[in-house]
Amino acid sequence: MTDRTPTTENSNEPVKGRSLWADGIRRLRKRKLAMVCFAVVMMYFMLAGLIYLNEVLDWKITLFDWRQAVGPSYQKPWVGYEWTPEGQTAPQRDWVFFGTDFLGQSTWRKMIYASKTSITVALFASIISILIGVPMGAVAGYFRGWVDDTIVWLYTTVGTIPGIVLIMAFAVVLRAQTFFGAELKGITAVYVAMGLTSWVGICRLIRGEIIKRKESEYVLAARALGCSNRRIIFKHLLPNVFHVIIIDFSLRFVHFIHAEVILSFLGLGEADKPSWGAMIDAARTELARNVWWEMAAATVAIFVVSLALNIFGDALRDCLDPKLRTD
Amino acid sequence: MLAVVFGGCKPGKPSAGREEMVLNQRLEANIQTLDPADVGDTSSDGVCREFCESLYAYDYLKRPHQVVPELAAAMPDISEDGRIYRIGVKQGVYFHDDPCFAGGKGRQLTAHDFVYAFKRLANVRVQSKNWYIFDGRVVGLDDFRNYTKTCEKDKVDYSRPVEGLYAEDDFTLVIKLHRPWPQLIFWLAFLPTAPMAREAVDYYGPDIILHPVGTGPFVLKQWHRGVYLEAVRNPAYREVYYPSEGAPGDAEAGLLRDAGRRLPFIDRVFWRVVVEDQPRWLLLMRGDIDINSIPKDNFGQAVSVVNDLTDEMKRRGMKMQLFDEPSTFWLGMNMSDPVLGSNKPLRYAINYAIDRQRFIEIIQSGKGRLAYGFVPPAMTSYDEGLKDWSPSRFDLQKARAYLKEAEKIHGGPIPKLRLAIGRTGTAQKQTLQFLSRCLTEIGLQIETELYDWPAFLEKLRTSDNQLYFSGWMADYPDAESFLGTFYGPNAPWPNSSNFHNSEFDAVYEQVSVMPDSPRRTELYRKAERIVIEEMPCAFVYHRVGYIIYHDWLDNLKADPYKAEAIGYGQLRYYKVNTQKRTNYRNNVEMKN
Repeated sequence: MTDRTPTTENSNEPVKGRSLWADGIRRLRKRKLAMVCFAVVMMYFMLAGLIYLNEVLDWKITLFDWRQAVGPSYQKPWVGYEWTPEGQTAPQRDWVFFGTDFLGQSTWRKMIYASKTSITVALFASIISILIGVPMGAVAGYFRGWVDDTIVWLYTTVGTIPGIVLIMAFAVVLRAQTFFGAELKGITAVYVAMGLTSWVGICRLIRGEIIKRKESEYVLAARALGCSNRRIIFKHLLPNVFHVIIIDFSLRFVHFIHAEVILSFLGLGEADKPSWGAMIDAARTELARNVWWEMAAATVAIFVVSLALNIFGDALRDCLDPKLRTD
Repeated sequence: MLAVVFGGCKPGKPSAGREEMVLNQRLEANIQTLDPADVGDTSSDGVCREFCESLYAYDYLKRPHQVVPELAAAMPDISEDGRIYRIGVKQGVYFHDDPCFAGGKGRQLTAHDFVYAFKRLANVRVQSKNWYIFDGRVVGLDDFRNYTKTCEKDKVDYSRPVEGLYAEDDFTLVIKLHRPWPQLIFWLAFLPTAPMAREAVDYYGPDIILHPVGTGPFVLKQWHRGVYLEAVRNPAYREVYYPSEGAPGDAEAGLLRDAGRRLPFIDRVFWRVVVEDQPRWLLLMRGDIDINSIPKDNFGQAVSVVNDLTDEMKRRGMKMQLFDEPSTFWLGMNMSDPVLGSNKPLRYAINYAIDRQRFIEIIQSGKGRLAYGFVPPAMTSYDEGLKDWSPSRFDLQKARAYLKEAEKIHGGPIPKLRLAIGRTGTAQKQTLQFLSRCLTEIGLQIETELYDWPAFLEKLRTSDNQLYFSGWMADYPDAESFLGTFYGPNAPWPNSSNFHNSEFDAVYEQVSVMPDSPRRTELYRKAERIVIEEMPCAFVYHRVGYIIYHDWLDNLKADPYKAEAIGYGQLRYYKVNTQKRTNYRNNVEMKN
C-alpha cells in the first residue's frame, strides 16, 4: 500500500494537512490586534467566572464586594478624603479609584461586578438563541417543502418586529412568571427573553448554509451509505457549518451585551445587583450634580468589551470563512 | 413654534386697560381628561379645577385647612343624626359661555346640575374613576347605578328619582346618607363632585373630556395634547374677592396686600407639558416658566444646608416655600405571610434596622421628617407624644437582639425575604438598595423586586408580597384617611399589610362616623398606637414639599394638599409683575 501523504516539490518530507480550524487559528495568531482583543474578552470572561466562584465558594475577595461602603456618598475619584466607616468611631483617610455612588459604594467594584451580569446574560442568551435557531435552520434547509415554508414564515414574522421592542415585551411578560416551579426574575427573565427572540439571524444563516451544502458529495455519500436524516444533519452537516455559528456567536455577543444594558436602563434587568445599564440609568440623573464617574465607568467597560468583541469577531470571520481569506 | 407661542407672547389689552397678566405654568405629565367625573390624575385635576368649581373649597390662606363655601351658599345644614345634608346653592352663578347653551350664553347654575353630576358618577356607562366616593353611601344611588347597568349607553334616564339625592328646589340640594359620614364635606370640595351642565354632555358627547364647561374663573382657549394648554379669564365670572383674613404670618409675608380685591388677577395662563425634570428646571432658570418643584438633582443647586435658597438662587430673585406634605411612607410587612405575620420580633427587628435619618438625607435629599407613626405632622391630630413613645426608630443593637428572638420563634434562620417596590425609576432603585442594605446589615437575606406600578398594585391586591415600600397621601385634612389603610375589612387594599386587629377595627368603626371633636382626636391617637405596637409597617418618613418660583409671582401660598401648585382653583389669587419678568429675561439673554 503506497503512502498517499502529499510531499513538497523539493523534499520527500510529508506535509501535514490542516483542518479548517487549525488553519483558522494559525491565521488568527498572526493578527496581533485580534489576539489582544481576544485576551481582553477572555479577561472579562475570567472576571465573570471568578465572581461566580467567589460567590459560590465564599472566598470574600474584597474587589468583588461591591456592597461595602468605602467612603461618603458621591466621593470624587482619585481624591483623598476622611470618613468614619460604619461601626467605627475613629475617622480614617482614604481614596477611591473610580469614586463612590449614593451609598458610598465603590464605582470601580460595581463596574467589575457588572461584567458578570453582562457576560452571564450575553452567554446564556446566545446559547438559547443558538439552541433554537440552529436546529430550526438546519431542518428547514435540509427538508425544504412545507417544513421550510413554515419555519421561513415564522422567522419572517418574528423578524418584522423591531428586536429591542420584542425583547422588552418578552422581558415584561416573562417577569414574575413561574415555569416548572421556578420563578423567572431578574437577569434570568432578561436572557430568556433575549434568547427566545433573537434566533432569527442564526436560523436564516444556517438554513442558507445547509441548502448550499446538502447536495455536497460527502452528504450524498452519507445518504448512499444509508445514514438517517438526523445523522446527516447533526453528524455531517452541522459540524461543517460550525465556524458560521462561532462567528455569529462572537458578533451576537456584543448585541446581547448592549441589549442587557438597554433593558437594565429601562428597569427590566437585575434589581439588586450592579449592571452597566443600571449604572448608566443611575448616573443619568446624577450628571446634573456633576457626578460623572458612574456613567464614565460603565461606558468605558462597555466600550472596551464591545470594541474587543467586534475586532475579534471580524478577525475570526476573516480567518474561518474561506471566501474572506486574504493571506 | 413653542418659542413663538410662549416666548413671543405679546401683552394683550385686558378689560381693565392694564398690561395683560400672563402666568406661565408647567405640567409634569400629560392631561388625560378635562371631564371632572373622569379625572383621576394630578395634572388633569389641577388644571380642570381652574375651569370647574365644587360646592366647597378650602380657605386659601387659613391653616389648619378650613372648608368654606364655593358654589354652596353656606355650610350644609346637617340633621341631628348626621344622615341628611341640606345644601343651599349660590344664586347668580353662571356656566361659561359655550355653544352648548342656547345663544352660546352660559345659563345659571342650579341644584339640578349637582344631582345630574352625582348621578353621572353613578352611571356605569360613564365609566367614571370616581364612583368610589359615593359607593354605598347615598340612599338609592347604588340602586340607580344598578339600573344603569341594564341601560344602553346614552339611554340612561337621569330623571329617575333617587331617594337620597334630589333638588328640593332650584337652589337647594338634599343628600341622604345610609349612615353618618363626616368626611362628606371634604368630598364635596373634590373636583369630581363639581356640577355638570347636561347641555354640555349632550352637545359634546364623548368629546366632553376636551370641553370643560364649568363655572370657574378661567375658560379653556386651546389645548394641544402633550404640548401646552391655554386658558383665559372668564369674563362672566361672578364677584369673588381676595380673603381679608389669613393664618399668622400671612400679613408679614405680604399675602394680605390684595385683601378685598376682586379675583382673578391673571388674564391668561399657559401650562406647558414638560415631562423631564432637567428641561423644566432650565425653563425656570430662563424665566420661561414662573414656578416649579425642585428636582432631586437640582436640590443642592437650589437649597443650602440650612434649608434656605442658595446664593445663586437669591441672585436670580427666586423665592421658595417649604411645607409638610400630608404623607407618610413606610416599609410594609404582609401580616398574612407565614414568616412575617406570626413573628412580631422579626417585624420589630426590621423596624429597628432602618436608618431613617440617612434615608432622608441620601434618598430624599433631606426633604423629609422622621416618621414615628402614620399620621403626618401636617394634620391637627398629629401626636407629638409619639416621638418619645414610638419604637419607630433606628437602633442596630435592638434590631439584632430582636432578630435573635425572631429566629427562635421561627425555629432557625429567617429565610430570604422579598422586598418589592412599585415603579422602576432611579429613585425607586436607590430606595430598594438602601433598604436592602439596612436589612442585610443585621443579618437578614433580602431579594429585591422592582415592578411597574400596575404589577405592584396587583401584587398588593393579591397579597403576593412580603416586604414592600409604599406610602399614603391624605386626600383631605382628616386622619381618618390614614386609619382606613389599617382597617381589617379594607384588606388587602388599601390595607395592603393585611393588618387585622379587633380593637383597632372597633375604634375605627367608632371614629369613622364621629364629627370632629377632641374625643375623636383622642381615639385617632389610640388607634395609631395600636398599629405601631403591632408594627405591620416600619414607618420611615413624612415628605417635605418644596416649591420654587420667581419673585414676579405674588400671593402664592403653598398648599400641602396641592403640593405641585399647578392650579387646583388657586390661580385666581396669583398675581404677576410682568415688568420684573421682562427685566429678568433681558438679563438672561444678555448673559447668553
